[in-house]
Amino acid sequence: MEYELRQQVIEPRRHTFQHLIDRYGDKPASRYEEGSIDVQPTENFHYRPLWDPEHELYDETYSALRLDDPYTYRDPRQYYYATYVTARAGLHDAFGKTVDYLGQRDLLSRMPQEWQKLLGDLVLPLRHYESGGQLLSVNGARFAYGTTVEQCLTYAAFDRIGNAQMLSRVGITLGEGTAELLVSAKKSWIENPALQGLRRLIEELLVEQDWAVQTIGLDLADRMLYPLLYQHLDEAALLGGAGAYSLVGQHFGTWFTDHRRWLDALITAWLNDPVHADNNRRELDAIVARWLPQAQAAVADLADAVDALVDAGAKDAVARSTAELTATLTGAGLTVGGKA
Amino acid sequence: MSKKLSMQQRYAALTRDLDWTPDYVDPAKVFPLTSFEGIKVHDWSAWSDPFRLTVDTYHKYQAEKDKRLYAVIDGFAQGQGHLSLSDAQYLNAMKLFIQGVTPLEYAAHRHFAQLARHFDGPGPRFAALCQSIDELRHTQTEVHTLSQYNKYYGGMHSNWKMFDRVWYLSVPKSYFEDAMSAGPFESLIAISFSFEYLLTNLLFVPFMSGASFNGDLPSMTFGFSAQSDESRHMTLGLEAIKFLLEQDEANVPIIQAWIDKWFWRGYRLVALIAQMIDYMLPKKVMSWKESFELYFEEQMLNGLFKDLEFYGIRPPMHVQQAIEEKEILSHQVAWTLYQFSFAAGFNTTVPDEEHQAWLREQYPDTFDKLFAPQWAKAKKIQEEGGRFFFQGLPQLCQVCQVPMLFTEVGDPETICQRQVVYEDERYDFCSDGCQWVFEREPEKYVQAWLPVHQIYQGVCGGPSVPEVLAWYGLQEGDSGEYIGSLDHKDWLAWHATAPVGS
Repeated sequence: MEYELRQQVIEPRRHTFQHLIDRYGDKPASRYEEGSIDVQPTENFHYRPLWDPEHELYDETYSALRLDDPYTYRDPRQYYYATYVTARAGLHDAFGKTVDYLGQRDLLSRMPQEWQKLLGDLVLPLRHYESGGQLLSVNGARFAYGTTVEQCLTYAAFDRIGNAQMLSRVGITLGEGTAELLVSAKKSWIENPALQGLRRLIEELLVEQDWAVQTIGLDLADRMLYPLLYQHLDEAALLGGAGAYSLVGQHFGTWFTDHRRWLDALITAWLNDPVHADNNRRELDAIVARWLPQAQAAVADLADAVDALVDAGAKDAVARSTAELTATLTGAGLTVGGKA
Repeated sequence: MSKKLSMQQRYAALTRDLDWTPDYVDPAKVFPLTSFEGIKVHDWSAWSDPFRLTVDTYHKYQAEKDKRLYAVIDGFAQGQGHLSLSDAQYLNAMKLFIQGVTPLEYAAHRHFAQLARHFDGPGPRFAALCQSIDELRHTQTEVHTLSQYNKYYGGMHSNWKMFDRVWYLSVPKSYFEDAMSAGPFESLIAISFSFEYLLTNLLFVPFMSGASFNGDLPSMTFGFSAQSDESRHMTLGLEAIKFLLEQDEANVPIIQAWIDKWFWRGYRLVALIAQMIDYMLPKKVMSWKESFELYFEEQMLNGLFKDLEFYGIRPPMHVQQAIEEKEILSHQVAWTLYQFSFAAGFNTTVPDEEHQAWLREQYPDTFDKLFAPQWAKAKKIQEEGGRFFFQGLPQLCQVCQVPMLFTEVGDPETICQRQVVYEDERYDFCSDGCQWVFEREPEKYVQAWLPVHQIYQGVCGGPSVPEVLAWYGLQEGDSGEYIGSLDHKDWLAWHATAPVGS
């Protein structure tokens, strides 16, 4: 049974904004669409930037990778601000509970010594990698063309500082409330040979001018680093009596799966663009040729150091994920190492 | 064993300690934008964080705030809440808001992303990152808040396109693009200090107060919901100026000139708000004059600038003119918009008797003498079946892009016109302030995309008014006289069957 509530019915003049009606017809639009599609200014800019007079304030040519209509690209997660912060509030809440639990039961400091060392010397320093990732992503948030694209980069930038803070909290907990491990982790980031490949990669990406090169360069490294640290080592930790590592790692794994969805969709959009597909393919090939070997070598260096501590077959795992990544990229139509 | 971290140390560890100095590449190439403006920063670590918010608490608070806000928006829409507004005319204010203010939120979002990348210091970078994502929140929540009105009323449907094209919206657009195209320090003073701190109570708050007085529950709720974000942005503005002034004495004259420029730029922008407060709200909050006296003269000139004296900063140049104008500003702008509303995305009309009585009370020295006769003349034309519109297009000031409607100081009946010849071209200005801004950087302001010039050059849809209006994206009922407009007729029809508040 339902009761009948009388309401005044007024026929709306239109169901959504005109730019959405033009694209999709006069029907109710989602909040993602109303908050994202056609939002960025596109014309009649008043002044050229003092810091880059060759470009307009918003300019498609800030990147060699282009979309004929940037709004053919949509975030598959349909994140707008409210849904984004709600999703991340859940992630950080779950992570906070994990860290509290680990702290209360001293589970981090009860891991085998070599796993503690791995966490402190090799994983904690990656909070700086995340921080670099934030700088790279936020540059795209400013210079990418079109709100649907830059919005993803904005959330990615905020995610990166969030990841850096999650790692830092692990360090503070393992360091029993002190900054001791964060201090040594920073030293490791600056000096430890196992991490120099990653640091060099981040720094060299930071001076790249094209936000898409920065974004994809970082992504290539992520796509070997995250599977190593949060899938492969997660398994190894459970076998090696370091369950606490797995409890921490799950949250980064969850984040990475969510994060990569928008990137896969963006690469697909670039490669299928009605106007720019061929050029985009060539540019992506060049980015992969330039950055994949460096990223692979950097993650392999880290894997060597991991194996020296816990003999987890990390190096082999990186070789496997490199092969998988190469297969995925060639499957998408790119040329990797001369192979299409 | 080292000591456990205090709250402050923990915050530093989670934010600014993430930084390191690159050495595989030249650090100057990583941060290339912070040297060309002449600002000297010796010690970025002296930056005192204006707020302490870690990412986990940020998400928690913001998710809770949005949950409450969207519940109000949904409830209001479901109950046809728009019918309980004070009057459909109120929405003219919100049309101006979604056309002219919401796009500024978006511009701020993009701009603070650049600052979050480019400051050398991690403290201000993180503050800028938070502001960037906050501004995206404001962009989207404003659109979602006003979306329900868009379904039933005119003027809101094409706000993004209008922002890029329509003549009076080039006032806010050029203002913000002036800041975005400047260096990172100038833009920080322009937006964080001048816009978010010095002028925010004159600029943003009047809309939200207007919402609360006129039954616009969703916009009012948005206003309250944005308050904690805005207070973070204001403290960032204050910290920014103090930090830069303390870093080096040589920064003081540079910053003084930016304060002078950005006060005047911002003040001309709020001319649109002045008329909104006095003429667009069916239920009044306060007059422009009262608002200016309280929020600017009392709080800023007698408060903030007394504190800044310590650093050798004086009140902005041309501030005396703004004070002189407080009795006439809103009326002159409203009268101009009345005459040109045939080409605007909102409706105007002659204020009714009750409204004029209020204006008379608020402006005893000027309303009857200068402005009531204009409205009487316009009313007479309307009573005779006509409508007074200006024939032609207004001349715009080269800097602020407001039509040349302002008068000489002390002589409210003589239009102020200033001219400068630069590289054999003549440029016109509405005031000494705008002329001064131009003369500092003529090579910048000659680039301005002046809407009226563009119309005359034939690049705005065509030579005739209907062609231009179509190019603006305006639809039937969006423009012109309010009485008899589509919004007015609908409002009457809806309330003929259901009285207000039922």
